[in-house]
Amino acid sequence: MSPEMQQVLAEKLLSMADDELVLAHRNSEWTGHAPILEEDIAFTNIALDEMGHARIWYGLHQELTGIDPDEAIYFREPRAYRNARLLELPRGDWAFSLVRQYFFDVFEMVRAERLLESAYRPLAEAAAKIRPEELYHYRHTHTWLQRLGLGTDESSRRTQSAVDALWPHVFQLFEPLPGEEVLVNAGFVPESIALETAWKKIIQEALAGAGLHMPAQPAASPGGRTEHTAHLADLLAEMQGVARANPGAEW
Amino acid sequence: MGAPDTQWPRYEVFQQTRPGGRYQNVGSVHAPDPEIALQNARDVFVRRPQTVSLWVVPAGEILARTREELEKDPSWRRPAPPPAGATEKVYHVFQKRSQRRSMGYVTHSGEVRAANRDQALLRAWEQFGEGPVFVWWIVPAGAITSSEEADVASMFQPAQDKSYRLPGVYHTRTLMREAKKQQEEDKA
Amino acid sequence: MGNEVANDTARLAAFEARIARGEKIEPGDWMPDRYRKQLIRMISQHAHSEIVGMLPEGAWITRAPSLRRKMVLLAKVQDEAGHGQYLYHAAETLGATREEMLEALLDGRAKYASVFNYPTLTWADVAVIGWLVDGAAIKNQTMLAQCSYGPYSRAMVRICAEEGFHMKQGKEMCILYAQGTPEQKRMVQDAIERWWWPTLMMFGLPDDESTNSEILLRWGVKTKTNDTLRQEFVNEMVPQIQVLGLAIPDPDLYYDEASENWIYGEINWDEFWQVVKGDGPCNEERLGARRQAHEEGQWVREAVAAYAEKQISVQGEQGVPA
Repeated sequence: MSPEMQQVLAEKLLSMADDELVLAHRNSEWTGHAPILEEDIAFTNIALDEMGHARIWYGLHQELTGIDPDEAIYFREPRAYRNARLLELPRGDWAFSLVRQYFFDVFEMVRAERLLESAYRPLAEAAAKIRPEELYHYRHTHTWLQRLGLGTDESSRRTQSAVDALWPHVFQLFEPLPGEEVLVNAGFVPESIALETAWKKIIQEALAGAGLHMPAQPAASPGGRTEHTAHLADLLAEMQGVARANPGAEW
Repeated sequence: MGAPDTQWPRYEVFQQTRPGGRYQNVGSVHAPDPEIALQNARDVFVRRPQTVSLWVVPAGEILARTREELEKDPSWRRPAPPPAGATEKVYHVFQKRSQRRSMGYVTHSGEVRAANRDQALLRAWEQFGEGPVFVWWIVPAGAITSSEEADVASMFQPAQDKSYRLPGVYHTRTLMREAKKQQEEDKA
Repeated sequence: MGNEVANDTARLAAFEARIARGEKIEPGDWMPDRYRKQLIRMISQHAHSEIVGMLPEGAWITRAPSLRRKMVLLAKVQDEAGHGQYLYHAAETLGATREEMLEALLDGRAKYASVFNYPTLTWADVAVIGWLVDGAAIKNQTMLAQCSYGPYSRAMVRICAEEGFHMKQGKEMCILYAQGTPEQKRMVQDAIERWWWPTLMMFGLPDDESTNSEILLRWGVKTKTNDTLRQEFVNEMVPQIQVLGLAIPDPDLYYDEASENWIYGEINWDEFWQVVKGDGPCNEERLGARRQAHEEGQWVREAVAAYAEKQISVQGEQGVPA
């Protein structure tokens, strides 16, 4: 692997890891506050799975760069984070978090399927591990999307609001990283446009089945993952506080 | 408090820990429908290994009787005859046969065919009543929602990877021993 | 009237004989009204404690200083939700409903373990809660696993199996931090000073003031007294805390050779009663958080229930059995 390819691959793995970490962090804010006890446990399980995935991607990133995962997580500034903005947004109401999780689950599911064939062995192996968990996430959030979409007028209204609010942010998931074509050409990662097409097809059917409207395609380009909202700084300040106050300490 | 709350109805949960093993009742979950009941059962009861299959049943569908209840009121021995032409269905029989302390409750003993639950109880007693039985559960097969074999990987495998939920990965005995040694060395 | 009294006396004798034989009382069996009421009270309080207990540590999930600790804490707090779930189930077998139990908790009528009304001020609190508070809970729960009421016993057996890692992950952190940087050592010492006495209070009032103890012992709900368990706990913990170079905030603590017990100082029962009655440092905050979650979740619970009902009526129209 050329140094250039290695650099792009490392950046890609970091973005995948940051996605999982930031989303899991947001989801963990529901623990102890979910609408019903069983769902508190279920949603926390999803967060734990995502943290496990983050650990895997940070681990692969470490293999390429030598950077310790905790070092990457706790001592990077917001501008150095590579997560999609969709995931750093505050958790909102239950509909917002559920729909965001659903959008991300479909994305992860269609990507994991294709990563099974990645020419980069560590990615293929990781995908094999992750895919069963993503299938379960999809089953869970799809089930809930239907029920919230069709349950009551209030739940339908809130779920549609969530879809509308999240839609402008979701397409950044399909924006290739700078230089990503070398990874696609090497067969390491699937082409983003293929993911977007597969994702949209599933979403279209799901929204219709849940009595919801699919919003119009956003006009503006999502922009790169180096740009973040102010929410990420708040999130990281909370996440990193203890570690940063005691650099060098083992926890 | 405003409008009365709903915590959703209850579903009893049955777990099978290895292929061909006996299902056992492990508790219940609240759920609005069978699909969520199955998912909730997985999330509440399968955070650690080992499970290969789950059943969920609306609590109200189950006929439950303790030995004491059966002794107190023997009318169960003469159930009302079912209406003419009533079809027979499958009923699963679960029993508690031990007073040993355990996590699980009634265990699957077998099946009977009957026209209704009361008749099923009598037939269960005739077929599975040998020896001490402390609790009987009669569960209509039609009321069971089961996990699928195709879903074993996505439903039950993930629990295997979360070793941090198990006490064995925390080596506190070793750490304490080392700390004690350090303290003795410091004193010297 | 005479017959009823004779019947009840006979039933009570048979009930107590079953317990003496080591038989479990199961849902559907006859039980004295007082047994049923005591158990509903005990079990629901226990369940509430688990649920409320998610909050003091849950607040640190977003601030855990390593990814591993973050996952471990999240799994631990999730377990506590699960434990509450098992316990509500056990109470439900006695006729209580979850709607009623939650309403009683959120109205402030129901009690829960007062140890969870203290604030968690630092990350080291998480370590100390794991080692001390869960350690104390394990002692209590191990005893309750022998309880005469089947569903409670089974819930306790499951909880005990899961609680092991809760204590160990906390102990692991305490050992690590006591030997870590000066700041870490100071942090864990400070946490021990704030959690030691609330932990001892978890074992309940002294035996001579504990009104329910006698009947709970006779009916096999408890098998050891509060003071017995508390003393066992102190004997186990003191030497280990001292090995780590940490101090226990009890100037009257001393080792009595004759009884082989670590004799501890006076517990401030005034503080205990204040916290139990709702005047603890975090009572309002804890219940407030639970109330908010409950109220904000109402539309969700209703929506999912409404969907289920629609499915049933659709199936009815189509002639499909529900």
